[in-house]
Amino acid sequence: MSNQEFDLAIIGAGVVGTAIAREFAKSDLKIALIDEKADVGEGTSKANTAILHTGFDMTPGSLESKLVSQGYELLKTYAQEVGIAVEKLGALLVAWSQEEVENLPKLKAKAIANGYTQCELITKEGLYELEPNLGQGALAALTVPGEWIIDPWSPIIAFATQAKLAGVQVLLNTKVLKLSYDVDGFKLQSNNGQITTRNLINAAGLYSDEIDGELGFNDFKVTPRRGELIVFDKLARGLINHVILPVPSSMGKGVLVAPTVFGNIMLGPTAENLEDKTATGSTEAGIQGLLQKGARIAPSLLDEEITAIYAGLRAATEHSDFQIKLHSLGGKQNYLTVGGIRSTGLTASMAIAIYVKELLIKAGVEIRDSKELPKIVMNNLGEASLRSYQDVEQIKLKPLHGEIICHCERTTTQEVLDALASPLPPTTIANLGRRTRAGLGRCQGFYCHHELRKLLERS
Amino acid sequence: MKSSTVDVLIVGAGPAGLAAAIELKRAGVKNVRIVEREKTAGGVPRHSFHPGYGLRDLKRFLSGPKYSRYYVNKALKNGVQISTSTTATDWIDPNTLTLTCPTGIEQVRASVILLATGARERGRAARAVAGKRPSGIYTTGSLQQATYLEDLYIGKTAVIVGTEHVSLSAVLTLKHAGVKTVAMICEKSKHQTVFGAPTIMKLLYRFKLHLATKIVEIQGDQRVTGVKVSRAGKEWVIAVDTIVFTGDWIPDHELARRGGIAIDRKYKSPITNGDSQIPNRSIYTIGNLNLPIKGADRCAVEARKIASKIAKQIHKGSILS
Repeated sequence: MSNQEFDLAIIGAGVVGTAIAREFAKSDLKIALIDEKADVGEGTSKANTAILHTGFDMTPGSLESKLVSQGYELLKTYAQEVGIAVEKLGALLVAWSQEEVENLPKLKAKAIANGYTQCELITKEGLYELEPNLGQGALAALTVPGEWIIDPWSPIIAFATQAKLAGVQVLLNTKVLKLSYDVDGFKLQSNNGQITTRNLINAAGLYSDEIDGELGFNDFKVTPRRGELIVFDKLARGLINHVILPVPSSMGKGVLVAPTVFGNIMLGPTAENLEDKTATGSTEAGIQGLLQKGARIAPSLLDEEITAIYAGLRAATEHSDFQIKLHSLGGKQNYLTVGGIRSTGLTASMAIAIYVKELLIKAGVEIRDSKELPKIVMNNLGEASLRSYQDVEQIKLKPLHGEIICHCERTTTQEVLDALASPLPPTTIANLGRRTRAGLGRCQGFYCHHELRKLLERS
Repeated sequence: MKSSTVDVLIVGAGPAGLAAAIELKRAGVKNVRIVEREKTAGGVPRHSFHPGYGLRDLKRFLSGPKYSRYYVNKALKNGVQISTSTTATDWIDPNTLTLTCPTGIEQVRASVILLATGARERGRAARAVAGKRPSGIYTTGSLQQATYLEDLYIGKTAVIVGTEHVSLSAVLTLKHAGVKTVAMICEKSKHQTVFGAPTIMKLLYRFKLHLATKIVEIQGDQRVTGVKVSRAGKEWVIAVDTIVFTGDWIPDHELARRGGIAIDRKYKSPITNGDSQIPNRSIYTIGNLNLPIKGADRCAVEARKIASKIAKQIHKGSILS
């Protein structure tokens, strides 16, 4: 790549950047989606808590509230359309103190102000009937039946795949080194050469403030907020039936216990403001703190084995709301920043993309939806639907659907081969795992690591 | 869906499963089938290339792969049916399992089911080790398979976590892979293997042995760059590109638990009566599914004894074929 010209470039291929790329791929604009990492969704997005949020606890009237509510319906429909695993679990907001009990009706009223009317207050007895393994001391709860769980990785892969098939250039391993603009447009100097574009969208997450800074804007500062998560063994799945939420505080939604569509139980996240944007390591204090909280919420959870521990950095800013800002730089050049997106970004992603498109249309960019996006079908990774290894018909067609390569996650060889032959093939074991679950299970590679590496290195 | 019936179905073709199958056939049980989820039968010794196998059961001194092949060949010669690349995924009832394999999905009903699903080492997450998630982190099992079965690149320098028998096997495997063992660390104040062994290994392979030392954090973004460890309040970083978590075994009890079998809280093994039988069921557990960890030869000897008792009961008619 030496010098390429585009109508639109998007920096950042996380859930927001890929959703935007997919939305604009319907038009006849020439588009580039740029990320410094080797895969889409490799930054903050990969550590999402995997909940499809109704937006019941957002600040009423905020942009986040609006986009989460809209995005909820959009992503729910999209997931079912392309075959991304969701489970209609519902959440229980559990009050553990008298003060929290008194807060529950307020939260119900807030939900209604956000347009969500399905919340019900339930008694302690009702709560323990729904969740017999909950620790002692819960006093009451608020139900949020619309809070679902979702496969957090497949939407990103699906968005990027559709975008790519519709002609978007997905430029991975491409780090923007220098950024400037003049009458001809924006010039992005990267390790892979120069990219010129008339319109630029900054979806760079943790680095969105730095990209802003390069162009002289100073709307917000990103303070990475670390969230550590513990994933428990699949054998723990039967202990919990709903997403168990705490009563929220100013530092976020607090520590939750939630089943995952992959059949595990997740405990977390922590919330810790940092300076270092690369501090994605878990900490001993974080892990111990989570285990203590977990012991209170569901004591029997701690008898189960830990399958994975990871940490992600939310791109938090000094503002509580999403920071979506359009800067028209005279002439036909537009610069738009999508910043301050935290855990609700997955749910809101498709609505953010539409909102961004409307802002650019309003600014005078000619965008006409001239193409139908190519239809795609994602491989189901959820335990609630038929998996590859369970599918008699698929095995008949391709026998390797019957060969389980990752025993813990029951990924089949065919699923791995399909991922390696896909439009956006994985280049590392971890990226392969996000597409197939292979290697992410309880044995952490004891049995399958070498087989996976062999297939990956051969491809 | 295909369905079939056998006298004894054994899940897992490691030393225990194979030895039990051979004994059952020898004692005249007709249909004995082993299902093995790996592509090759033989279990862990398949990828454990150092000698030392076969002392108690065969009175010989073999390498792991030779030992495995001996058992697989003997089982086949005795008429045991071995189905590889075949996973027992779930139970239909206490005598029937569902299998997935490349030829399809099958239900197998058996008068007796032997669970020989083995054990695995706990990895970094199961030990709740903090830090980043770079590549270059192994268990002895994954290290051996990458080294001996696939000849993949491992690294240059390594820290071994743990001082069990298997940890010494990790030293040998690393040596074979061209990786220098820099240190062996263990949280306990005494090592967990035979007397003198770590000291001899330490001198032979020139690494440091840190007892009463805890791993605090894994460092490195793409690739491991080091491990932070601590002993008696003092913290330091050992710069390596590879970490091997060894031992700290947990039985692979998933299939047992899916069948509603109760698990011992300490060892996480299925709870059985004195004869390794699950109470009130015609299900038995053999090999390293019954922890604490044992060598392959001991697993084989014990499995043979249990199989002999089962065969007698089948002949007596106290278990209906």
